[in-house]
Amino acid sequence: MAQTFDIVIAGAGVTGCAIARQLARYDLSICVLEAANDIALGASKANGGLVHAGYDPAPGTVKAKVNARGCALYGMWSEELGFLFRRTGSIVLGFSEEDRAHLEVLEANGRANGVPDLEIIAPERIREIEPRASREATCALWCPSTGYVDPFDVAIACAENAAANGVVFMRSAPVRAIDNLIENAPLQAGGAPLSSQPVRFAIHTPRGTVRARILINAAGSGAAEISAMAGGEAFQLAWRQGNIVVLDKEPRALMPLYPVPTPVSKGVIVTGTVHDNTVITATAALRDPGDRDTYVSDVEALLAGARKLVPDLDTRRVVRSFAGGRAVIQGLNDFLISPSSTAHGLFHAAGIQSPGVASAPAVAELMESLLREAGVTLVEKPDWQPRRRAPEDFDRSTTEHQNELIESDPAWGRIVCRCETVPEAEIVAAIHRTPGAVSVEGVKRRCRAGMGRCQSGFCQSRVLEILARELDCHPEDVLLEDGGSWIVDGVLKEDR
Amino acid sequence: MGEIRTRDFDVTVIGGGPAGMGAALAAHATGASTVIIERNEHLGGILRQCIHPGFGLTHFKEELTGPEYAQRFIDKVSESGIETMLGSMALAINGGKGNERRGGGGAGIPADDVCAEREAPAADGHTVTVMTESGMVEISCRSVVLAMGCRERTRSEIKIPGSRPAGVFTAGLAQRYINIENLRPGKRVVILGSGDIGLIMARRCALEGLEVEGVYELMPYANGLHRNVKNCLEDFGIPLHLSTTVTRVIGRDRVEAVEVSRVDADLSPIPGTEQIIPCDALLLSVGLIPDNEIAQAAGVELDPRTRGARVNQDLQTGVPGIFSCGNVLHVHDLADNVTAEAERAGKAAALRALAGRGTTGSPAEDATTRRVDIAVHASGLAGYVVPSRITRVGSTKLFFRVKRPVDQAKLVIRSGGEVIFTGKPRGFKPSIMEAAPLTVKMLKRVGEELTLSIESIEEL
Repeated sequence: MAQTFDIVIAGAGVTGCAIARQLARYDLSICVLEAANDIALGASKANGGLVHAGYDPAPGTVKAKVNARGCALYGMWSEELGFLFRRTGSIVLGFSEEDRAHLEVLEANGRANGVPDLEIIAPERIREIEPRASREATCALWCPSTGYVDPFDVAIACAENAAANGVVFMRSAPVRAIDNLIENAPLQAGGAPLSSQPVRFAIHTPRGTVRARILINAAGSGAAEISAMAGGEAFQLAWRQGNIVVLDKEPRALMPLYPVPTPVSKGVIVTGTVHDNTVITATAALRDPGDRDTYVSDVEALLAGARKLVPDLDTRRVVRSFAGGRAVIQGLNDFLISPSSTAHGLFHAAGIQSPGVASAPAVAELMESLLREAGVTLVEKPDWQPRRRAPEDFDRSTTEHQNELIESDPAWGRIVCRCETVPEAEIVAAIHRTPGAVSVEGVKRRCRAGMGRCQSGFCQSRVLEILARELDCHPEDVLLEDGGSWIVDGVLKEDR
Repeated sequence: MGEIRTRDFDVTVIGGGPAGMGAALAAHATGASTVIIERNEHLGGILRQCIHPGFGLTHFKEELTGPEYAQRFIDKVSESGIETMLGSMALAINGGKGNERRGGGGAGIPADDVCAEREAPAADGHTVTVMTESGMVEISCRSVVLAMGCRERTRSEIKIPGSRPAGVFTAGLAQRYINIENLRPGKRVVILGSGDIGLIMARRCALEGLEVEGVYELMPYANGLHRNVKNCLEDFGIPLHLSTTVTRVIGRDRVEAVEVSRVDADLSPIPGTEQIIPCDALLLSVGLIPDNEIAQAAGVELDPRTRGARVNQDLQTGVPGIFSCGNVLHVHDLADNVTAEAERAGKAAALRALAGRGTTGSPAEDATTRRVDIAVHASGLAGYVVPSRITRVGSTKLFFRVKRPVDQAKLVIRSGGEVIFTGKPRGFKPSIMEAAPLTVKMLKRVGEELTLSIESIEEL
């Protein structure tokens, strides 16, 4: 017998997880279905981590609304959910009079979108704010509300908080088919709890079928298929692919520095990260769906673009380069966040390209209000826990606290990842969180083992061993990421 | 709860590989109380996984495997009474002074103000913060020897494009899986880079029944020692493709193939020469980088060419009392050379520590030695030179490597405009670490700087 949920969310990216977290406070049964074996494996893990302020989107668009609001919510969300967030502000550098005119447009846009405290500044002020910014810059837009996060960390924190409040996560559960159980019956307005509404969808996955009264489509690059399967509107997704480069740590993280944007993207941005690395993000090219390759031309464009903004940047210190795809709805230069016009009970949070991370908390809020508008009664649970207890972070702890951790369990004193100072106990904890890490990369996203300059050259075999032990499987069953990403294929000599 | 233990030693050696053990034994023999801090549960460092022969030919005059070579030092260390802290990691020297990153503001992270207190070491001494399985330990000492070794250059640093599936390993990681973990990292292997680890891993994979498709090398010459090209590739019929590199990794979840391309004289891939090589693993032997993070955090200045510390003739860095040796100083060709260098560093570190105790004289402070300050530079085909500074008159050696192979070249040492020394014409190879003696007689003719140059005869 298929389990029935009031709400099923398709997609455990930052959008789906934020929605799950937002709705978890209410007396609803919620299930998040994720095709991949972990949270945030699509666009949510492969972006620059910037919490853009919201001066880019054209006023009046959904994007404009959720971006500025999402950025504003980040302080509270990071505080409640215990993920690292720095609201540093940002500078858009202009190098000519033409650029200045463009900055003025951005400033006006930003004002219209509700972005606070925007200001055009002169070179002396640029140097005060970020001494490493190019001296060639003649003017800049100062935007104090910009910040940055580790984007997958936001999704993971949301998922953990949602799970602690009763949300069920089903991973490795790609949706294969959806049956509409009732046709043409709008949601009943007013008063009645959602649990008294009819069950509308039977959603089939390899891990079983789940039934839902409401289906929220936050499936990223799979959103068009989910919509089609659920009887929703047809739309086409294009794959806007970007390469991103991460550089080694700096003594002081760089302020986010933007160039004047191009018609399709924000251009090559340089930013610090919450762990003091430097990220150069991102190129933008329309490529074949699913293409996550890096390209020489893209990486060179990133490094050259970065040096234009920060001339003294040592672009040889590349720790990692990667690529991510944004699922853009063709013909709609905006997010699609609305009830389906054709399938009752289906709600879209689709086409969430940049600035998806910045917008996520506001997309979640907006989804809640769309549900209310559709007549769904939301009753807060008395025992709802807004706060996530953030996992221990050994490297960021004081020496005294580190010592206490080691006294509590010697595994806190056994370093596995030397670059990021991650002890064994932190890795074990990452595996046993809910939803926990099931792969080497999943461990990395949760506690940074393997994230550093040696890129797991020293620790991968240890992490693999710990995963096999904690998940009670063979080394050949441990995956790097998802699917068939085996690391070793068996033992060499059986008799050892 | 939370209280930090403290210990005192004359010399703290960070790292228990060949460099650390060599330094510690020399320091101990000089009379210094010495401790070795080692991350792993065993001494020996990377030698533990280097089960091939070729070690000890200089030091012991016999051919040993890596573990055998290491064991000789491990035995000496355990007989000596040198204290070893295993499963222990040095987190910071002097609280990571010069490193602003801990608690670096933002995100409401409180600055670690305890760090500030530790930043002031005891007069002329050092503190090393160590995490162990039984808690944090703060070691006070007069001298620190950096012997942390190196790490492998990664795929990201050389920017190989394409997808990012499982199956791309640094050669050392693959070596660990095979030699230590008894696990097979694939069945069909391509190796990029003809450094010694790449060559040795080609043979190792072949011996374990993996198919080795070939070794690809960006440069027009092999980067490893000649004996390894012969013993590891030629004897096993493994092809070496020079002036060829991997230009794309293919495969969504696991490596399915790599694309290789020929490169031109500027090392740029030549369009149209692409070839797809099916494989399920790509091993990278594309260089080693000294692992100097805690040294940098302690304010030790690095040489951008070696990425090791700038040191003087006694292997002392710019921070008095911090010494450096082995692969954390510059990447060596042979473990035997690491040992020899480490012994010098250990002795010098001990002499400094003991001088501070008033027990004996330090070479730098001996009244009979003349103090100088000579900057040492590399020029011509010499890629780097160690030491980068000479601070007292005494016979010493200049260690260097050439940037590319040359059949006929001369070693020339100059100071100002004057030629101090000219060597006989001979061949030089980048795979070999060379040593040029610098005598007291030569030093007397040197001014404020000295240049070691390798000059190709054909080009003169």
